[in-house]
This record gives sequence, C-alpha cells and structure tokens, in this order.
Amino acid sequence: MNRRRIYSNWFMVPAMAIFTVFFLIPTVISLFFSLTVWNFDSFTFCGLDNFKTFFSDESLYSSIINTMIYAILTCVLKLVLAFFLAVFLTSKIKTKNFLRSVVFFPNLISTVAVGITFSALMHPTKGLINQVITTFGGTSVDWLGNTDIALYSVILTDVWKGVGVATVIFIAGMQSIDKTFYEAAAIDGASAWQRLKAITVPLSRPAMNSVIILSFIGGLRTFDLIWAMTGGGPGYATEVMASTVYKQYAAGYYGLSTAGNVIMFALIALMAFPLQKFLLSKEVD
Amino acid sequence: MKKRVMAAFLSVLMITGLIAGCGSKENGKTEGKGEESKELSLLVDTTNAANEGFMAIVDLAEKELGMKINVETRPTSTEGDNVVKTRLASGDMADLCVYNSGALLNSLNPSEYFIDLSEQGFMERVDDSYKQAVSVDNAVYGIPFATSRGEAVLYNKEMYEKYNLEIPKTWEEFLSNCEVLKEAGETAVLGSFADSWTAQIVFLGDAYNLMTAVSDFPEKFDAGEMKWATTPEGLRSFEKLEDTTPYYNEDYLSMTYDEGCDVMVNGGAGHWFIMSNALSAMYSLYEDMDMVNNLGMFAIPGDDASVNGITMWYPVAIYGNKNSENQDAILEFMEFYISEAALDAYCEATLPDGPFCVKDYEIPVESYAAVADIQSYIDAGNYEPALEYISQVKGADCPAICQELASGQTTAAEAAQKYDEDCAKAATQLGLEW
Repeated sequence: MNRRRIYSNWFMVPAMAIFTVFFLIPTVISLFFSLTVWNFDSFTFCGLDNFKTFFSDESLYSSIINTMIYAILTCVLKLVLAFFLAVFLTSKIKTKNFLRSVVFFPNLISTVAVGITFSALMHPTKGLINQVITTFGGTSVDWLGNTDIALYSVILTDVWKGVGVATVIFIAGMQSIDKTFYEAAAIDGASAWQRLKAITVPLSRPAMNSVIILSFIGGLRTFDLIWAMTGGGPGYATEVMASTVYKQYAAGYYGLSTAGNVIMFALIALMAFPLQKFLLSKEVD
Repeated sequence: MKKRVMAAFLSVLMITGLIAGCGSKENGKTEGKGEESKELSLLVDTTNAANEGFMAIVDLAEKELGMKINVETRPTSTEGDNVVKTRLASGDMADLCVYNSGALLNSLNPSEYFIDLSEQGFMERVDDSYKQAVSVDNAVYGIPFATSRGEAVLYNKEMYEKYNLEIPKTWEEFLSNCEVLKEAGETAVLGSFADSWTAQIVFLGDAYNLMTAVSDFPEKFDAGEMKWATTPEGLRSFEKLEDTTPYYNEDYLSMTYDEGCDVMVNGGAGHWFIMSNALSAMYSLYEDMDMVNNLGMFAIPGDDASVNGITMWYPVAIYGNKNSENQDAILEFMEFYISEAALDAYCEATLPDGPFCVKDYEIPVESYAAVADIQSYIDAGNYEPALEYISQVKGADCPAICQELASGQTTAAEAAQKYDEDCAKAATQLGLEW
C-alpha cells in the first residue's frame, strides 16, 4: 500500500462541497425543523408532536397507505408489461424499430400534460373512454370521481406513461444475452416457453432489478400525475405522501410538512436499500 | 500543454460564469431603485385578474394618476398560496399583493410584510366590519378589491315556476323542493366539485344560521372552548352538506366551476350553492341579461322559518408591500382605488355582484336580479359575514373535507371531527393555546 497515490483527495473537494451545501446541510436542518413549529422568522420546539399528528390524523396517514399501493402496483404492472413487450420487441418482427418508438413515445410527453389529457378522457359524461363504453352497451364508469377506483385510474395512467422506459431497459438487457444460449437450447429441443423461462428471465435479471428499483422509488415519490389528475381528491381518496406534504406546506403548517418530508425520506431509504441489496444478491452471471 | 491551457481556460470560464450568475440578481435590484417611479407591480390570482371592474380601475389609474400598474398573475388556491408565501419569504413580493381577507391573512404574518393602513385617512371610507376582516392585532392592512358577495343558493326561477315551487324558508322545505326536482328528472343541485372550493359553500354559507343561534361561537372557538363536532348548531352545517349528497348531477365530482356557470345559466339545474360573483362570470359567457336574470338567490335556510338571513363573503384585499421602495405610490394607488371615480369605473365595466364595502357609496347602475335579492336581505339587516372574517382560525383543508363529505365517504360527524383536527393544526401554527 505504499504506492504513491496518483490522485490527491483534493479532487473530491468541489463535489463534496456542493453535496454538503445543497444536500447534507439541508437534510440535517430539515430533521431539526421537523421537531418544531416554525414560520419564516421564528420557531418553537415541540418534540415529536408533528410526527404524532402525522400518524394519528387519518387524512395524513391514509396517504402513506395510498403511496404504498401506488408504488407496489405501478412497479409490478410495469415490470410484467415491460417484460413481455420487450420479449415481443426483440423477436424477429418487421416493424420493430417503429414499434419501439411507439412504446417509448408516452414517456416524452410532460407528466402534467398526460394527467390533464387523461382526466379529460376519463370524464364521466363527456370523456372518450366512457363514450366508447356506452356505445358498445356498457355502463359508464366514474373513473376519477368514484373514490374506490380513482387511485387505480391514476395508477393505470402512470403505467401507460412509464412502461416505455422499463421496456427500453429490458430490451437493452435482452440484447446483451448471448445468442449462443438460445441456439444451444434450440438444438437440445427446448420449447419457446422453456427458453424464455430458463434463459431470458434469469439473464435479464440486472435489467429487471433496475426496472424494479426505478419504478418503485418513482412510485413512492410520485406527485405530478396525482396532482394533475385528481389533486388528491375526491376528498382524500388519492392523496399520496408528496401531495400531502405539499398541501400542508401550502396551508402554512410548515413544521408538519417538514415532518412529512422526513417520514417520506425515511420510508424511501428504509425500503429502497434492503430491496436493492436483496435484488443484487439474486443476480447471476 | 495544450490540454492544460484548455483546462485552465475552462475553469476560469466556469468561475466567472458562477460569479456572474450570482451577481445578476443584485444588479437587477439596484436598477429598480430610481427616483419616484410611477410604476407599480401587482400580484393577483388569475380568477380575480379576469375581473373587468378591476382592470377598468387600473386603466383609469394610468389616465388620472399617470401610474402604470404591471399586473402579474399567479394560480389560484394551493399553488397560489405557495407562490405568495414563497415570494414574501424571499423578499420578492410585488408592490401590491391581492390575497384573501379574514382568517387566511393571519397565516401570512402581515406585520412583517404589509403596510399598516390604520393611520391613513382614506381608510375612513372602508366599512368597519370589512376593516375587521383585514386587521390583525389592531393594525389594518388592506382595501377591498371588489364587491362583497352573497354566499347562498342560486335558483332557477323558470324551474320553480314550472314545478310550482316556493322559495324555501326552512331546510326541510328546501330538501322537499329538491325531491320534487329529482323526481321530475331534473338536476336538483348542481355540483362543481372539480374545483374543490365550491364544495364548501353549503357549510360556509350556513354561518348566518350558526351565528344567530350561537352568537359567541367565533370567540369561544378561537379560545379553543367550542368545537364544531360538539356544538350541535355547528355540526348542523355539516349535516346540511351531507343532506345534499343524493341530489347532485351525475358528474358533480368532475365538473369545474366554469362548466357549472355554463350549465346554470342555461337552466340546466335547479339550485347551485355558490357565491354571487358567479353572476358576472355567467353574464360574460353570453352577455344576455335575461338568461342571468332567470336566476334568483336565497339564503341557505335554517331550521326555523322566522330566522332567515344571508351569509356575506367579503372580497379579497389589496395589500401594500412594506419593503417596497414605492411606499408613496402604493398609498396613492390605494386611496384612488376606493375613490368614487374608481368605483364608478368599476361598475361601468362590470355589473357589481353585491354591495361594495365602502361607506356611503351608492351603486349607480341596476345590476342582476339575484343581486337585488341579496340587497333585500341586507336592507332588512338580515346578514352576517362568513365566519372566517370574524374568527382567526380556519382549517386549510376545509375544501377536501367538504368534498369528502359531499361525495358520501364520511358522515357529518366524522367530517366535523376532521375539521376540528385541521383547525387545531392551524391554531398550533398561529401559536394559540388549545
């Protein structure tokens, strides 16, 4: 270990300085302010009161549950859909490149625009979706007004928009699988389903892990789509953590909203790290 | 060697870029500091910015005072609150700021940011009860931006005639009217809850009934001694909202306020719990006075036929930025804004939706029929301002709580409980001992 180090530690200083000023210090400060009732010129220390309020107030903690439903469902749906789309798009079809672009297109549109468009499409009387349903003799559904399904309508929209990225990651993963595996399996007489199960699934594991982590964390901190489509309503039916924090801040309950942020931070960290560890341990070479 | 020169050059470029970036704002500020500038900026939300009366006063100010008002708009509701609070906190507020009067003003910490107008002569012209709504701790901060409004029920006269209905004097009568309309296949009550603030009107507009029954409710509520859930008359306001649930249009959770105006003025519904400034919005759609005059307004009925009065909603206020360099110009504009000439210009541009909060000012024109209905309540002395102009505490989540109740997810008792908790948060933030 006596070799002269090529690079001095000083190279880290610019990056560390920026990281400290813009990330570390604010994190520590927000931990402190989550224990206070503050406004812009003063604060009073109140211990863990903000956290108690957050967990005892139904309208607040229901947002934690909604966030979990949202994150898990979008993650699973994107994973499954994207996997099969990727299998389809890496097979020998003629319009492959065109179809790949089509799948990716929704991702290029701004989320807010997607939200506004879909809330118009899902309008109970004038929306296109319901008009199609009623034309074919079905009963119309109040996609965003019915409190039991509003959250799921937003989840479906999120999947529609986000499945493109997941598909692209899967395609990249599948293309890097050595073709000789498939040839060998084909010679051994493996069926298409067996090849998929024994070769494609295990060898696209790294891609799968990226998709899971990205879409799960994306789901946990979702805000823009919910805000554009329902604003957390009707009532609190589609309220998620980020929208709750935003609303508390706008209401002027600054301490409470800081506490919400800390909870959200802890929640994401507590779930993302073990998840990543677990997933990486499953990867094969 | 070439690489090193290049690297040095790039780092110098980056550093100068950083410094220049930080400095530019400072420069911008000093430029604005010229002598007696006759230019003022004004921050207003998009809904109020569309008020033609306000624009007429702005135009007149340019003509008479030679003062140019640069109107900046911001979004309404939650987003708008964030814009205002952030701009105040960062010292970036416009010279004039349009914001709610009443309890919500407290949350802005006005003594820090707004000019105290209590010593100004022109404030004598402003109604005392309005002054109370823009005061915090004996300092008065704002002037009325527009007319006051009735917070009550717009009803369709044609439908009332067709089905032989009478204007209800009690809540029971109102519900039986709704039942008749529903049976006949009409939309009995219009809901426009995509704009969640409209969901609160049944609850907020019941203030007259609450105040006549329990006159010390606001004080005791602020002191933490009375709660909505445990005061029967307070809970009643939530129950009324709950009662309306079966009568809404099918798409009441997706309809916006603007769409609601269109439906109502076209005679598409029997009742609409709304504020009377919807009348101007409706008139501007078709510019047809007869269509708007087909609508009348009655107060939200109580349980006793002999008690019948309307809840008034005070206009938002214009506040002056205390930290602006243009103090004199701000005061000059404010004085002008509530002068006789300015109000006349307002009425000429748009018909008033209710009386102005200015003493001894007679509206020079005849307005909509529903405004005459409101005026008759006021002339008889049967009116009260909405609760948030008397009480200091208003829970910020009121729209969502009302929306949740009206869509049948909670009961009146649960909603009252939730609103109490929400108010407790607001009280904590204001530093009240509850």
